[in-house]
Amino acid sequence: MKFSYNWLRDMVKGLDASPEVLERLITIKTAECEGIEVHGADFIIEVDNKSLTHRPDLWGHFGMAREVSAITGQPLRDPVMPQNFTAKNPPVKVSIDDYSLCPRYSALAFDNVTVKPSPSWLQQRLEAVGLNPINNIVDVTNFVMAELAQPMHAFDADKLHDGPIQVRTAAQGEIIEALNGESYELDPSALVIADPKGAIAIAGIIGGAGSAISEKTTRLVLESANFNAAHIRKTSSKIRLRTDASMRFEKAQDPVNTVRALERAYELLLEVSPGIRMVGGLADAYRPPKEPAPIVLPLDWLARKLGRSLPAEEVQRILEALMFKVERIDAGTLSVFVPTWRATKDVAIKEDLVEEIGRMVGYASILPTAPLAAATVPAPSVERVFHHSVRDAAVGQGFTEVYNYSFLSEELAQRFSLDPDAHIRVTNPIVADQNLMRTSLLPGIWKNIVDNTRHFDSFRLFEIGREVHPDREVPHFVAAIFAKDDGVAGLHELKRLAECLLPGSESRPSPGARKFEHPQRATDLLHAGTLFGRLFEFHPRMIEHGRAAVLDIDLQALMQLRSSNVKYQQLRRFPSSSFDLSVVAGPRALIADVQAAMKTLAGEALVSIEFLRDFTLPTGDRSVSYRLTAGAPDRTMSAEEVTSVRNAVIEGMRAAGYELRV
Amino acid sequence: MNPESVISELRDTTLKALDAAATLEALETIRVDALGRKGKLAEVSKTFGKLAPEERKSLGILLNAAKQELESGLDSRKSALESVALDARLASEWFDLTTPAPGIRPGHLHPVTQVQREIEDLFVSLGFAIMDGPEVEQEYYNFDALNIPADHPARDMQDTFWLKDGRLLRTHTSPVQIRALEKLGAPLKMIAPGRVFRNEEVDPSHEHTFYQLEGMMVDRDVSVAHLIYFMKTLLSAIFHREVTVRLRPGFFPFVEPGFELDIQCLICAGKGCPVCKQSGWVELLPCGLVHPAVLRSGGLDPDEWNGFAFGLGLTRLAMMRYAIDDIRLFASGDLRFLNQF
Ligand SMILES: [Zn+2]
Repeated sequence: MKFSYNWLRDMVKGLDASPEVLERLITIKTAECEGIEVHGADFIIEVDNKSLTHRPDLWGHFGMAREVSAITGQPLRDPVMPQNFTAKNPPVKVSIDDYSLCPRYSALAFDNVTVKPSPSWLQQRLEAVGLNPINNIVDVTNFVMAELAQPMHAFDADKLHDGPIQVRTAAQGEIIEALNGESYELDPSALVIADPKGAIAIAGIIGGAGSAISEKTTRLVLESANFNAAHIRKTSSKIRLRTDASMRFEKAQDPVNTVRALERAYELLLEVSPGIRMVGGLADAYRPPKEPAPIVLPLDWLARKLGRSLPAEEVQRILEALMFKVERIDAGTLSVFVPTWRATKDVAIKEDLVEEIGRMVGYASILPTAPLAAATVPAPSVERVFHHSVRDAAVGQGFTEVYNYSFLSEELAQRFSLDPDAHIRVTNPIVADQNLMRTSLLPGIWKNIVDNTRHFDSFRLFEIGREVHPDREVPHFVAAIFAKDDGVAGLHELKRLAECLLPGSESRPSPGARKFEHPQRATDLLHAGTLFGRLFEFHPRMIEHGRAAVLDIDLQALMQLRSSNVKYQQLRRFPSSSFDLSVVAGPRALIADVQAAMKTLAGEALVSIEFLRDFTLPTGDRSVSYRLTAGAPDRTMSAEEVTSVRNAVIEGMRAAGYELRV
Repeated sequence: MNPESVISELRDTTLKALDAAATLEALETIRVDALGRKGKLAEVSKTFGKLAPEERKSLGILLNAAKQELESGLDSRKSALESVALDARLASEWFDLTTPAPGIRPGHLHPVTQVQREIEDLFVSLGFAIMDGPEVEQEYYNFDALNIPADHPARDMQDTFWLKDGRLLRTHTSPVQIRALEKLGAPLKMIAPGRVFRNEEVDPSHEHTFYQLEGMMVDRDVSVAHLIYFMKTLLSAIFHREVTVRLRPGFFPFVEPGFELDIQCLICAGKGCPVCKQSGWVELLPCGLVHPAVLRSGGLDPDEWNGFAFGLGLTRLAMMRYAIDDIRLFASGDLRFLNQF
């Protein structure tokens, strides 16, 4: 919303604050200003519309002038001269079907109208606040809107069909050609202004083209109405049309304002269209809303809310400067009557008055005070602490943390073997193809890898983020190592990382790698039979000039597995004995299988089994060496016993088809 | 030759040999030759048996003196040779410690993570719990329960990503206020950091995905003065220095009164730059006293409970902390950027 400094000065007598000072005062006391623009001899203060959301009265200059007057203490000048229009002999008959949707519809009629360009002062005022001058009649309606926040509309009376003006819901499929050249098809959720032949305006949003003011107009009907805020907002978003009028109505305008606007417009029309004549009196269909009860404001409650006390006189002075009416109920309690332009939704409860008093007295005047709260131990944040420990482990091993977006394209989903239909879809994505919620962190990590290969020959990165599935959000940890080598080191490093995060985790190559995985380098990660992650190398089709190993861990599963109870086992009191064995396995045998077999064969006597090394023999077979330790909890094993364990393993392995190098 | 002359000659030649010895091995040979059990001094003492007791006694004294002299000569020569040997070893073991150490360098936490953790630690030390909520949120928690009904124009303040299933991506961390009250009740002190989404065009100072940290304290008696106290404590801890702040009215339907807490832009020191939209001030912290309607949504009686709430922009805070002038870098995954922190 643009405010003209000169316009405000017209309404605040003796305003001497410079535009810069005024901008700062408004920002500190009322609403956020975004800057000042010079416009000819005027200065335009731009106020953030978002900070006016709750202030219907500040959508016109007079409302801001009231604030400035309250802030500076300089007297306010009301631009509206009371005209005392007669309610007898209304020029048009107005009928309102539903007063909850249209609490008030006021109108005047004029003849002997001359349509021509506005005088330059009027054009300049409109241009200063960003409105285009059109002709003297339309300009007056826009001027009054910019001044009093009351939208108005002028109809060419000769283009209306004889009969009453009706405020009704639209018929299903009712079409209206609007002033902006567009045609809108409506339904009963929209409210229209209609003459006996059909809609002449979409209520509160835009007028119809058929009854628009033109150079030939000589008679006009001037509408100044009030509409239900929520209803206007709903229709405006449904037909995707926001106008200066709808923006104001959806903030809940004051119904008292409709006649004030007509009084102001009347005066202006006499000036800009000499010879114009008012026809009849005021048409005014109005059911005043129930007057709200005054707000009871206990001063000790106010002091507790603000954290500072204020004398009753000062509270009263502040509220009266803002045009609240104040009565003293007793020494410690005020009864506060809200002015109509603040009562539509802005100020309704005593908490709202805390804000009015607080901002005017100045928050800088409140002494910061430590609360007197009991010292309590906060609820533990187990998951948070756990995630941070995973981060620390990764960083310690050289991985840098990345954050990726939660969005995914269908094309990328398919590339990662994800069914687009199993994703939550975004109705209004920022880019048309980023319309799925990610159910995997892998596509993002893959993109990070590809991007960074442009700058680095080798790197490590990781992300902790959520997979967003339709029925659950699952935190995942994904780490990747990129290098221009044979890829084995990266896979091993990530496996080691997985073991650091969850000691005792095992890998189990699963048949049927996904299509983005290297078919010979992909494995599930398990712990005590429970799946918690996957380790793989990207398929060479996914990464050019290098290899990337990836670890993907479900952090929810990991946390549960990690939190399993640890129980102390008594230290062995009797020495144990170790012996080494080397097993020859086939070229693609799994070491995990070799180890599991040896473990079973050694039986209860096995204290530990430790992998030493493996290497490929000239035949292509692999020699795998282990160190086995045997012992008993209650005595020292004899050499014979240890030998018998060793022999049992050797014989068993041979029986299972392995050759032993002993 | 009389025995006295034999002893003194033996002493003199041995001392000479010691001086000439160049290695520890040569030294040992000399020691065995002169002082060993079958050495030359031992030989001489064997001849004493034939002598008179007085003569034997005086020769014995003479022999012992020569033995001690040789032993100490041997020791000093030995330590001299050892020290030469050690010096030679040390000299040969020169190592260039400017050589880069091999092995993996530590990685880097994302700057937002670093800022977030610091603030989490701060609040935990003040007795706050850390809470969380879903990123895909119900309209009720994101809007209605926070005093933003469907027809409220405040919904336009936050351009929302809507989902086909009727839910939405949370536009702020404020829904956790309600979830925390439902879960823990009052009194309550909690923070909730997390990812939030706004359907906004992306430019150097706008992102559609960013990070907030919600804070809330609910107790019997909570005032604006308490809120200001907490914010001052928080900000001085975060920035490790005095920062210039101002409080001004701000409209957020879930607080009443509501404030904008601004901080003077740390990038341009208030002179104006793209990050602060040339204003010199950066909106840091919307905050206020919890609206009675929100307390009711959380199952509390507003006549009995009061609270304050605030929302801290973690992303914006990280930009100020590290003087980052382009918000898009945070989600770039660019290691040239991330490895700086
Ligand atoms: Zn700046």
